[in-house]
Amino acid sequence: MNGKMRTLRFAVNAVLLLGFAWNCGAQTLKLPPHEKIVLKNGLTLLLMEKHGVPIVDFAAIVKGGSVADPAGQEGLASVTAGLLRKGTAKRSAQQFAADLDFIGADFSADASADYTAISIEFLAKDMDKGLDLFSDAVLRPAFAQAEVEKLLAQEIDGIKAAKDEAQSVALNYYYGYLFSKHPYGRPVAGDELSLARIKRDAITKFYATNYTPGNTILAVAGEFDAAQMRAKIEQALGGWTAKETALPAIPAPMPVKGKKLLLVDKPDSTQTFFVFGNVGTAENDPDRVAIRVVNTIFGGRFTSELNEALRVESGLTYGAQAFFDSRKEPGAFGIYSFTKNESTVQAIDLALQVLAKLQKVGVTAEQLASAKAYIKGQFPPSIETSEQLAKRIAANEFYGLGDDEINKLEERIDAVTPEIAKQVIAKHFPEDNLVFMLIGKGSEIGPGVRKYAPQQDTRKISEPGFWPGAK
Amino acid sequence: MNKVRVLLRGLLLGTALGVMCAAAAVSAHAQSEGQQFPVATKTLKNGMKVLVETDHSIPNIALYIFYKIGSRNEHPGTTGLSHFFEHMMFNGAKKYGPGDLDKAMEANGASNNAYTTENVTVYQDWFPRSALDLIFDIEADRIQYLSFDPKKIASEREVVASERRTSVDANNGGILDEQLKATAFIAHPYQWPVIGWMSDIEHWTMDDLKHHFEMGYAPNNATMVVVGDVTPEEIFQLCEKYIEPIPQHAPPPPVTTVEPEQLGERRLIVHKPAELPLLMIGYHVPQTNSPDFYALNVMRTVLVQGESSRMYQRLVDKDQIALEVNAFQSPAFDPTLTVFAAQPKQGVDPQKCEAAIYDELDKIKKTPISDVELEKAKNIRLVEFYHQMRTINGRGNTIGTYEVFFGDYHKLFDAAKNYAAVTKEDVRRVAQKYFDSNNRTVATLIPDNGEQGSAK
Repeated sequence: MNGKMRTLRFAVNAVLLLGFAWNCGAQTLKLPPHEKIVLKNGLTLLLMEKHGVPIVDFAAIVKGGSVADPAGQEGLASVTAGLLRKGTAKRSAQQFAADLDFIGADFSADASADYTAISIEFLAKDMDKGLDLFSDAVLRPAFAQAEVEKLLAQEIDGIKAAKDEAQSVALNYYYGYLFSKHPYGRPVAGDELSLARIKRDAITKFYATNYTPGNTILAVAGEFDAAQMRAKIEQALGGWTAKETALPAIPAPMPVKGKKLLLVDKPDSTQTFFVFGNVGTAENDPDRVAIRVVNTIFGGRFTSELNEALRVESGLTYGAQAFFDSRKEPGAFGIYSFTKNESTVQAIDLALQVLAKLQKVGVTAEQLASAKAYIKGQFPPSIETSEQLAKRIAANEFYGLGDDEINKLEERIDAVTPEIAKQVIAKHFPEDNLVFMLIGKGSEIGPGVRKYAPQQDTRKISEPGFWPGAK
Repeated sequence: MNKVRVLLRGLLLGTALGVMCAAAAVSAHAQSEGQQFPVATKTLKNGMKVLVETDHSIPNIALYIFYKIGSRNEHPGTTGLSHFFEHMMFNGAKKYGPGDLDKAMEANGASNNAYTTENVTVYQDWFPRSALDLIFDIEADRIQYLSFDPKKIASEREVVASERRTSVDANNGGILDEQLKATAFIAHPYQWPVIGWMSDIEHWTMDDLKHHFEMGYAPNNATMVVVGDVTPEEIFQLCEKYIEPIPQHAPPPPVTTVEPEQLGERRLIVHKPAELPLLMIGYHVPQTNSPDFYALNVMRTVLVQGESSRMYQRLVDKDQIALEVNAFQSPAFDPTLTVFAAQPKQGVDPQKCEAAIYDELDKIKKTPISDVELEKAKNIRLVEFYHQMRTINGRGNTIGTYEVFFGDYHKLFDAAKNYAAVTKEDVRRVAQKYFDSNNRTVATLIPDNGEQGSAK
């Protein structure tokens, strides 16, 4: 072990934060040509040939993520996804693993708030085997009782183990506290209590309701002939006839008015991990490109205002950043960092000052030019592989964003003027209404952080669940 | 997000190289499909070796500089110096003062990072073609004229302390791994953590830093790899202009300490507040360029890679005593460790996991693996090879790692042949040779949640 990353990426990966904020802009790069076909059963198929590396990538999106979890059964979408490979009508879980590993293929199925993402990657020569494994998992999962119980027990312990690493659960607590009863406040993987309530019936019902061809977008990219691929997929998936049911509409979450603070007590902590912010923006927000540019300057790269202040100039932390976790409806905006117990107040004060400065002073023309160049320069490697491309076009389709999202990014970035930046700062970087979440040693940091909000809540990290709704 | 699957990733984050090295192998089948690509090489007059591979698929370039200095070149009292030094390489030189380097790079569309291991310190630049000249200007500036501003040093000490609190204090895998190595090695420098002990982080002196710079950052102690939208001629010209004038000097003195043979099992326990226990078992194995490297990799694949692997099937699926089981081995110049790690389920005595791991090791020592397992392991390597080779960044890191740890990047293309040559008997032989109880160190983290009194 012990490669020690220098930039934020280490911290970022640990909390599964960014990606969104840094994947922006395009120079002369265009999406490779691809086609969209709606199969007779309603499945949306996107095909993109990409030659050179003998790999094929499937990236499917099934509408219905944790937002479709019934209240009290948080984690249902996640567990359903996790069980897809744990036995099908024709393969046991062990057989599925054996067949998959034998061809060196990678399979994953994970729920997020808005949707469930299922992907598989294999060598082009293993096309038929790969497609068979994919369709077997998606169309014919068995949800055997023994596998259900096994996975649920593992997931419950997994939540506990994650709590041993404060930064890996920071967002669970923050989202629970920020979004409160809104479905975006639910822990996507569930918690110790909700997982214990999930029964097989709920899983099969969730599957029957959400896993339908009409609810599914499948993007395929890589080394293949599109016409042949289409025929193979029609054969494998065309017989999938599950009836579509309308997904429940999710209301847009409302920003929190005023200030409130949650302190999660972890008595052995030598550092405080903190996040604060408010409800942010939706994936299709008209300001999204301008927000990316401004946030790059504010908290989205190594020389961002936040990282300069909290790390480079003061040595308070290994990293500080700001993020917009955009979703179908407005997701979260947050400022994230960590610092030793005794400098907790100093670091939060400083982060608040950086935010205040953004409001008051704004950004310079030089900063704007630098952020634009940075976003454009870093963009091409984010759509370099067939895996990245398949996931990208599937997500664009889900969010109703066209190819211009990538093909016109450069001109959209260039169109961000100082005036637009100013408007975006006023609108999307809240200063007066803020939700704070801290994980740290309560006895030491508690008194100092009282000044940040009139409403204070506390809970122990050992207490099951992440959010006020958890019972 | 599926937390179960990411539990031990904290441990693996630093082993980019480990994963990569294991991954960068290819079967004879792949080689016959033409999985070789041209790499142009040149050794500069000052001794730096430069390797270039052209790929115009995106208008970007990945540039790696490997310095052959890491924590194995340190001494008690100044542990963590190489890693701290890595941070200082971003804090200003002559032309690009404090903060200038990152600002100039980012304003030109470039980003950077670096990592330090026991063996090497590696600097990475990712940038659009248009920033090519700037990158060379910056790299030449900091290799020659790094500045040592006491104020920057003081503030960077705090940054590294924060990094240590995050990756060790707040990460059970980080703590246990550190304790395991400190126990498994009694003589060789692999015994101390790359990030350094906290008291050493607090006490290095300016002289220590300057000495480290003079010792490790000779051009003849470095290898540069460039992959992307660029030709070898362009890179060699830039090297001539910016890098070649830098004078060579003596590289770090050789590390002569040889870890004595371990003569009996060592055990250690870490008590700390935690929800779940953790288990790690380390066995001494040879260095990366040993002929047994390939058979050891195949053995690890059969044991822990994928849900069809023997230990996953046993501990996670059948016995249901662990959430996850893994094994890893980092690239190393000197004999190193293969470490097995298991995350026991709550309420499960870690010794149960330990016993199951030994049982699986015994089986692989006694009975040859099956033909299917051998073929599966080779297939997995093949896909991983393409996985690594499909990005300019992956190729930069892989070419460099083979060049540095095997002494020749061609070994990357020979890996096919070397894996194809691994037999079932080889796997059994290495299992018997290295995975003996006298050769192991067992580290267990036991939750100690004082006030609740519920642990044990």
